[in-house]
Amino acid sequence: MKAAIKLTELTKKFGSKTAVDHLNLEIYEGELFGLLGVNGAGKTTTIRMLTGLSAVTDGDASVLGYSIKKDLQKIKPLVNISTQETAVAENLTVKENLELIAQIYGIKKNRIQSKTQEIISALELNEVIDQKAKTLSGGWQRRLSIAMALITDPKIIFLDEPTLGLDVLARRELWKVVQSLKGKITIILTTHYLEEAEALCDRIAVMANGKIKALGTAGELKKSVGKDNIEDAFVEIVGGDKE
Amino acid sequence: MKAMAFTSRNIKELVRDPISYIFCLGLPIAMLIIMTLINESIPDMEEAPKIFNIEKLTPAISVFALTFIMLFACIRVSLDRAGAFLTRLYASPMKGRDYMIGYTLPFGMIAFVQVIITYISGEIIALIKGEGFSVGHMLLSIPLYIPSIVLFIGIGMIFGTIFNAKAAPGVCSAVITAAAILGGIWMDIDTMGGAWKTVCSCLPFYHSVRYARMTLSGDYSNDMWFSFLICTAFAAVLFIIAIITFSLKMKSDKK
Repeated sequence: MKAAIKLTELTKKFGSKTAVDHLNLEIYEGELFGLLGVNGAGKTTTIRMLTGLSAVTDGDASVLGYSIKKDLQKIKPLVNISTQETAVAENLTVKENLELIAQIYGIKKNRIQSKTQEIISALELNEVIDQKAKTLSGGWQRRLSIAMALITDPKIIFLDEPTLGLDVLARRELWKVVQSLKGKITIILTTHYLEEAEALCDRIAVMANGKIKALGTAGELKKSVGKDNIEDAFVEIVGGDKE
Repeated sequence: MKAMAFTSRNIKELVRDPISYIFCLGLPIAMLIIMTLINESIPDMEEAPKIFNIEKLTPAISVFALTFIMLFACIRVSLDRAGAFLTRLYASPMKGRDYMIGYTLPFGMIAFVQVIITYISGEIIALIKGEGFSVGHMLLSIPLYIPSIVLFIGIGMIFGTIFNAKAAPGVCSAVITAAAILGGIWMDIDTMGGAWKTVCSCLPFYHSVRYARMTLSGDYSNDMWFSFLICTAFAAVLFIIAIITFSLKMKSDKK
């Protein structure tokens, strides 16, 4: 399998605190990869470095063959992110938000309409298409945020805690969206919800204190520590390292 | 394309905020009417301060109204910084210049509309009073507002970048007050002289109001061009500072 992302000794320090500690990891093309960890484990910081939102302290990472230290401008058009907080333009409608991102990523004018319609249909945003983003519920805003990341046809999408703060129904709705993308593009998903990682991800990396403590499928992680459910396995893996 | 897309978004954000109509369009017109009524209420016109004459009031209020453009530019930048939307854009292929164009153009366009509406309102009031000022002078005067517009947008962007969404409006309010007092919007600083005039003439607000008044009255003397150039120099320096400040903030946000 070909690596879409390859981390080599990737490190991030904030003063004396090491947030990401010499990470080495390969994420394959088309994979739905989960980054799991407690608060401060380094998940979001890792994603921020891979998307150019945070500078690298040491080491490097290759995204689609380009170095995040040297070729960031080549990487940016090829990837997209749905951040932890809902990142939408509040006074713009759903359709306008999508068109805005399409324009910013350089999608040709004659394709923007069809592309917008395609994403609206795929993510079932039709019923809110002309609603301003600020009037949407949390679940719809997250869905829009993911749609804004997908409209640019990214080869890799980073979903940073996409279901954080959503109710069970809204979360399950978003799971369906994520599952529909599986295999089509590379997805890196960070989450606090263990059952979410187990249900969605092909492989999971469990992070603690900026390091990867375990890596594998949900089944492999459970097996590695002799537990029957993912929550017990997670506690066992990060237990001694929780900040 | 990227800059234009961001410009379009910022125009929509601005025009869909009802408060922007009150501050950017309603307030200048209301001030023109109120100050004219006050002027009319002064019994002996010989003694009345000529500063409230519509021909002097209209350009002064046009400049004063630009301080609200500054306020809105400041609030927009600080709100964007506070939210996650800008984070999404930082991860996009947008470059520093796209942000600067995207923030400057919409507020520049709104500022021009504001000046034109204030001038038209001033002209209507002047005609009602039987005075009326030259349309030719009006047309020549309006493009010369560019340095003043850039000046106030630049200040707004600097404060919006430095201060958070809670502090930024407060700081801008201080500048609005300072611009009114030090710019001579409600008084004629030239007739005052002394140390006060010296202080005012060291700042751009006085020159901005001064050349606006002179151009509307058709005075294209060296004094007018002097004030115009001083204002242009301040605008250029402050806008460069705004670009540097925003770029540094972008970099520091990535640390």
